[in-house]
Amino acid sequence: MKPEEMRYCSTGEVHLDFHGSTYVGLKYLLDHFGMEAVDEVLTNTAEKVYKSIYERLQRGDSSELICHWRYYLEREKCDFTLTENPDGTAVLELRECPALRQLAKEKIDDRPLICHATEKMNSVWCEGSPFEIVVEHQEKGCRQTLRFK
Amino acid sequence: MIPSDHFVKFYSEVFKYLQKRGQAAVDEYYSTIAEHQKTHCLKLFQEKGLTGMKEYWDHIIFEENCDADAILEDGKSYTFYMHGCPSLGKVLDNDAGVCDIYCMHCPGWVLPVMSAAGYYCVYDLVRKDIPRCILKAFKHLEDAQKYLEVVKKRHLNDPEMVVCNF
Amino acid sequence: MIPSDHFVRFYNEIFKYLEDKGHEHLEDYFLEISRHQETHCLKQFSEGGLQGMYDYWMMIKKEENCDSDKFIEDGQYGKVLKSFMSGCPSLAKVQDNDAGSCPLYCYHCPGWVLPLMSKVGYYYVYDLISLDMPRCQTTICEHIEDARAQLKLVLKRHKGDRTLVKWNFPEKD
Repeated sequence: MKPEEMRYCSTGEVHLDFHGSTYVGLKYLLDHFGMEAVDEVLTNTAEKVYKSIYERLQRGDSSELICHWRYYLEREKCDFTLTENPDGTAVLELRECPALRQLAKEKIDDRPLICHATEKMNSVWCEGSPFEIVVEHQEKGCRQTLRFK
Repeated sequence: MIPSDHFVKFYSEVFKYLQKRGQAAVDEYYSTIAEHQKTHCLKLFQEKGLTGMKEYWDHIIFEENCDADAILEDGKSYTFYMHGCPSLGKVLDNDAGVCDIYCMHCPGWVLPVMSAAGYYCVYDLVRKDIPRCILKAFKHLEDAQKYLEVVKKRHLNDPEMVVCNF
Repeated sequence: MIPSDHFVRFYNEIFKYLEDKGHEHLEDYFLEISRHQETHCLKQFSEGGLQGMYDYWMMIKKEENCDSDKFIEDGQYGKVLKSFMSGCPSLAKVQDNDAGSCPLYCYHCPGWVLPLMSKVGYYYVYDLISLDMPRCQTTICEHIEDARAQLKLVLKRHKGDRTLVKWNFPEKD
């Protein structure tokens, strides 16, 4: 898929402070309403905001998710490798996660919550689809393997 | 006598009538208004340029009780931010209802005057039912063209809210 | 990771969730955002005053791709910073969103800015224009009387509809 074919294709400058804002939102929900609230909002984000990625995955089409990974990681000047396979599976090697990098700048140290957001959204996207995404945490990033169940 | 305070409600009825006659009739009326308005401000625009525009509309802001801001930028452009247009404001407060092309009369007369004075002008009419707009006049066509693209982006779903004279 | 480009759509889901729980939760979250934003701009605002605010929001204009103008002018009693947002990238993205926008989305902006302004001693008036349009107009004043005059004007624009006008000072002494 070409970036301009994605449902959301942001252009122009990038405001990385929003990673800090994302964290504040997750933490607020967790502190005031518990993990259930965090997961409800992340589920809505994965299913309703990213409706297009979600519905494609349900149909066995990973093209928009893969395009989304590459496009936004490039925009955020991330050190990564994305290996795509012809059958729609892929391996994303994220040597330095831009969200963790930005949070470190803001002196926010709560990797579990930020990584939970990624894992929860991955699991919502994949539930009921032929895919699964396995996340292996590494020092500054992670490896995400998109594969068939 | 229609009090000058109520002129715009009459004006709105004129537009409604002409609209029924077709766009050519409306356009001809705009030209007539423009010719009339030239007697008020063309000389000022030609002789003093953007500063003359500010001078003219500062006077209008006062006399017509406009809620507006006007800015001159580096001799390159003049921007008029209308936050509370008394004209559309009065027409909206009107038992006869508003003519849906009411806002168009403003660029309808201003743009020909701007062209006659040699300036490039872009209108962002915001929304027909909100008495707000932004008029921006430029000395150089390139600056106006660049700005026009920005305004067009604001109105991807309602391009008729963007009007210019180039 | 939610790309920073898409943060506002996630933000919008938080607002919907909190509003559903009760409006007071949304208000409380705005205060939390305000505390977080202090780390980004409190020092710049308190040390730089209106110029510091101008510089901060010019940086935001660039990074967030805002279609806006701002300028500092003389008010009757002190300096005034006026800002015209003609294309808010935040609300625009939220509207371009398969999940739909939270009707109170715009409120997060005064929700975090006003407490911060009170902290640095400035008087702020928001004209939110219409909650479904990515436009607003704001005025920051050094002197409360300039702010009161602006507030009067903005309330008049909205014919007394206070839901579209936000400020951080008492209307009268």
